Amino acid sequence: MGGYIMQLQNYSVNDGDGIRTVVFLAGCPLHCAWCANPEGQALQNSMTHWAETGEILSQLHRQEPFYRASGGGITFSGGEATTQPAFLAELTDALYDEGYSLAIETCGQFDFARIEPVLRKMDHIFMDLKLMDPKRHQKFTGVDNARILENLARTAKLGIPTTVRIPTILGVNGNDEDMAAAFDFLVRQCPGVTLELLPYHRYGEGKYRQLGLTPPGAEFDIPSKAQMAHWQQMARAAGLTVVSYR
Amino acid sequence: MITKRIEAIRQNYVNAKPQISCERAAIWTESYKSTEGQPACIRAARAFYDCCDRLSVHIFEGELVVGAIGEFRKCGILTPEFSWQWVDREMDHFATRPQDPYVMTEEQRKFVRESIFPYWKGKSLEEAFLARLPEGTRRVGVDTGVIDSDSKWRQAVGEITPDYQDVLFPLGFGGILRRAEEQMKLLDDTKAEDEDKRDFYQSVILACRGIIRLAERYAEEAERLAGLESDPQRAEELRAIADNCRKVPEQPPKTFWQAIQFVWFTQLGGILSENPLALNPGRFDQYMDPYYEADLAAGKITPDFAQELVEALWLKYSEWVWTISANTADYFAGYNQFQNLTVGGKTRDGQDGTNAVSYMALRATEEVRTHQPGLSVRIQADCPKEFLSAVTHLVSKGTGFPAIHSDNVGYQMLLNLGYSPEDARDWSNCGCVVPHSRKTGEWTSAANLNFGSAMEYALNQGKSLMSGEQMGLFEVPASEFTSYDEVEAAFFRQFDNLCRHTVISLVTAQRVHREMVPRPFLSACNEHCLESGTDLSRGGAKYNIGPVVTGIGLAVVANSLAAVKKLVFEDHVCDMATLAKALQANWDGYEELRQKAAACPKYGNDDDFVDDIARRVANHFHDQIHQYKDIFGNPFTTAFMGISNYIPMGRALGATPDGRKNGEPSSEGVSPYVGTDTSTPLAAMRSSAKLNQEMHSGGTLLNLRLSPDLVATKRGQANLGAMILTLFSLGGFHVQFNCISSDVLHAAQEHPENYRDLLVRVAGYSTQFVNLSRSMQDAIIARTEHSGF
Repeated sequence: MGGYIMQLQNYSVNDGDGIRTVVFLAGCPLHCAWCANPEGQALQNSMTHWAETGEILSQLHRQEPFYRASGGGITFSGGEATTQPAFLAELTDALYDEGYSLAIETCGQFDFARIEPVLRKMDHIFMDLKLMDPKRHQKFTGVDNARILENLARTAKLGIPTTVRIPTILGVNGNDEDMAAAFDFLVRQCPGVTLELLPYHRYGEGKYRQLGLTPPGAEFDIPSKAQMAHWQQMARAAGLTVVSYR
Repeated sequence: MITKRIEAIRQNYVNAKPQISCERAAIWTESYKSTEGQPACIRAARAFYDCCDRLSVHIFEGELVVGAIGEFRKCGILTPEFSWQWVDREMDHFATRPQDPYVMTEEQRKFVRESIFPYWKGKSLEEAFLARLPEGTRRVGVDTGVIDSDSKWRQAVGEITPDYQDVLFPLGFGGILRRAEEQMKLLDDTKAEDEDKRDFYQSVILACRGIIRLAERYAEEAERLAGLESDPQRAEELRAIADNCRKVPEQPPKTFWQAIQFVWFTQLGGILSENPLALNPGRFDQYMDPYYEADLAAGKITPDFAQELVEALWLKYSEWVWTISANTADYFAGYNQFQNLTVGGKTRDGQDGTNAVSYMALRATEEVRTHQPGLSVRIQADCPKEFLSAVTHLVSKGTGFPAIHSDNVGYQMLLNLGYSPEDARDWSNCGCVVPHSRKTGEWTSAANLNFGSAMEYALNQGKSLMSGEQMGLFEVPASEFTSYDEVEAAFFRQFDNLCRHTVISLVTAQRVHREMVPRPFLSACNEHCLESGTDLSRGGAKYNIGPVVTGIGLAVVANSLAAVKKLVFEDHVCDMATLAKALQANWDGYEELRQKAAACPKYGNDDDFVDDIARRVANHFHDQIHQYKDIFGNPFTTAFMGISNYIPMGRALGATPDGRKNGEPSSEGVSPYVGTDTSTPLAAMRSSAKLNQEMHSGGTLLNLRLSPDLVATKRGQANLGAMILTLFSLGGFHVQFNCISSDVLHAAQEHPENYRDLLVRVAGYSTQFVNLSRSMQDAIIARTEHSGF
């Protein structure tokens, strides 16, 4: 079988260790107002395409020498990596059997029982945490965060290296109060995870135009380096390990 | 940290304009007037001796390593015995020419026109070459941009690596001289071939006496200056310099400082003897480290002072400029002398050879940011992690250095040429990316061959698109080709014809070199020449490798053939007649078709449709060239090197089916065509690795640009290291990176005064960006910037 993908991005070096290929799987249960990959929100549009599993595998095989020398591998992302569970499982099983190093980047909005077997084959899990306040979470992303928080806590107990990523956006969570709430949750509910703060960017604007959509407005803004350093310091003070895949 | 004195010398190097010195040419000419009728090698050696005896000596402020090629600190010299005509034609515009200008005064020009050039009229190498070149070859092979070998008949060969390990350091020039005297005693006066050897040994003796004499004169000058010096510390240094010059290069060096001074005197001798391109220091870390370790153990040197000496040498390498014609400067842009210095890699017996001096060399280039020496590293699969880190760290500094080579592919390239395994393992780089050895005589950049021209003649009835002149073989009109295979066959017919003319041009050049311009000084630095009593120009080295023909425009041709195949014979977008007309019109009125051509598969994206064509063309090039033999009976060799030759060769090339327009740059080495490697650097690497690189023993070159933020962190640098190891595991020989953002380059174009020390990778070498012509700068900026995200 196969599924809908946005693209395979070779020579990716910020989503896990070494030189990686990021497989961007189409479709997402969230509709974040600031989304950088709007083409991934739906399974099908002018920027996604159907790809057979075998075709994707053979393209990944060509990158193997680079993975081998660098300790890299494959990272599933999106859209949302778990939106096409059977497709994701098929890719994961095949690549796991071939011995590749695997990672996943997910928003956390998935059926845990369904996705758990896939997570267990990962060498590294990246999971997003956007906001602790369920109402504002609903407002900005279209869903409340109950299931995401639950999945975060359950994933942290799988014993697989897990990094929680907070997209840091002025106008959403770029303030001391929201950060403190997130850090507190992680310390209490997700022992052992590491934290990466990713500053908001506007690289997705061109894609909005390509799809005939309006890019996110000026209410979302990019934090300064000093602000980022401040929240990283706060996280460390709260007892979290802060990492960077830059 | 760079010391104050090195920084002061560096500032002068960055800011001074090179000046032409006429001293060497004047002495050489006077000497030749006095030796007419004597054997050519004796005349050359006598002229060299006279130079060493009479050239004015200059020790510049703050120098630790001394020896000047003329009266100016940043200086070039003239060699009228090779060619004076281009100097006569061009020197009035030296100061104003776009690429590599020089300062030459009105008075100097008058002097050389009246006192130097008249003697050489009819006697220069250039005139002899042109007189002997068959008309058919001249039409495509002289100043055409189709076949270019002008650096081999308007200049000396250079392209040689003195043997410090087995000749120079163990013997000193005093020891070489004695060895020549002993060899002479064994000769038989009644044998003609022994008389040739006698001449040769006599020329070596004269050359040795010359370089020893020059060092003595520097010792005297240093002592004189020490007497006048008010600063006691500098006076002490000058006395130490005097002491060094009393000992080396006559005797083997005893200290690290003496070894450095020895290396520079050898370089200076080579420069004065022929103004060479690619006079390579070779495996610097291998022959310098024993002196460093010994001095360190004996408490005679500190690591800081050793570093300062290495940096002083780097500045000496950079202060002399290679005086060349405007045409040659187009091909070898950036005042580049191609003194290639290699560190890292395996030892002769196969161990890891990296040592303290390997790291000092990398650090020196980072600190002084000079365009010389051309710093190359050899990387083997199990190279020490710290060394690979030091290499990627230097890459991240954006100097374009070092050139990174696969230890194993270099080894294979030499094995393919018939080297013994031990000598092959001991390879060092020549010029830009040629695996080479101190045991070798070879023309490593003998001729450039414009692949695109063969494409042009195949599709345009053998005529040049831009001039309409019949340049290639007669060919049927393109409209008569009925299959892709017929087009490819026509391309190969034209291609083979150009290969033939290239060979004719080089054999002619080799013959005049053998007769007219023997190389006594550089032959004295070669072990086998001394044993065999034979000059380098007569094949005296242990390995005489056939001249290297460099293919230019592999990507253009592969992309063009792929476009013909797809547009005409697979997708039937247009017919051959329409395509040929579009090319004749330089795509004017055919923009829609040009867009479709530009969208066809392009080499450098790991796409077998076009990469297979590239491989077939490269294989054919090797087989075709390899079948010809040079004057010593050795097969010619192929390479895909860079230099800056893809610019002038593109200028001579009409529109091509890949969507390129008249005169636009061609492509360099095994690199993708500018801006068409749109996937990732990994895909460009994979494409280039499909070409059987180890077969092209003259070297292959891959240039890539990376956005600096990709390698700004240690993590980014580690990934770059992994990427390099991967390329080499796939069979790649060389890769070099420019890590400078386009913003910086644009700023440097607008405000060159603020960016004088900005080094960029041109192709096979790095040079100061501001010293490149505007069109070269634009070409560098246009290279795809891989951001990798």
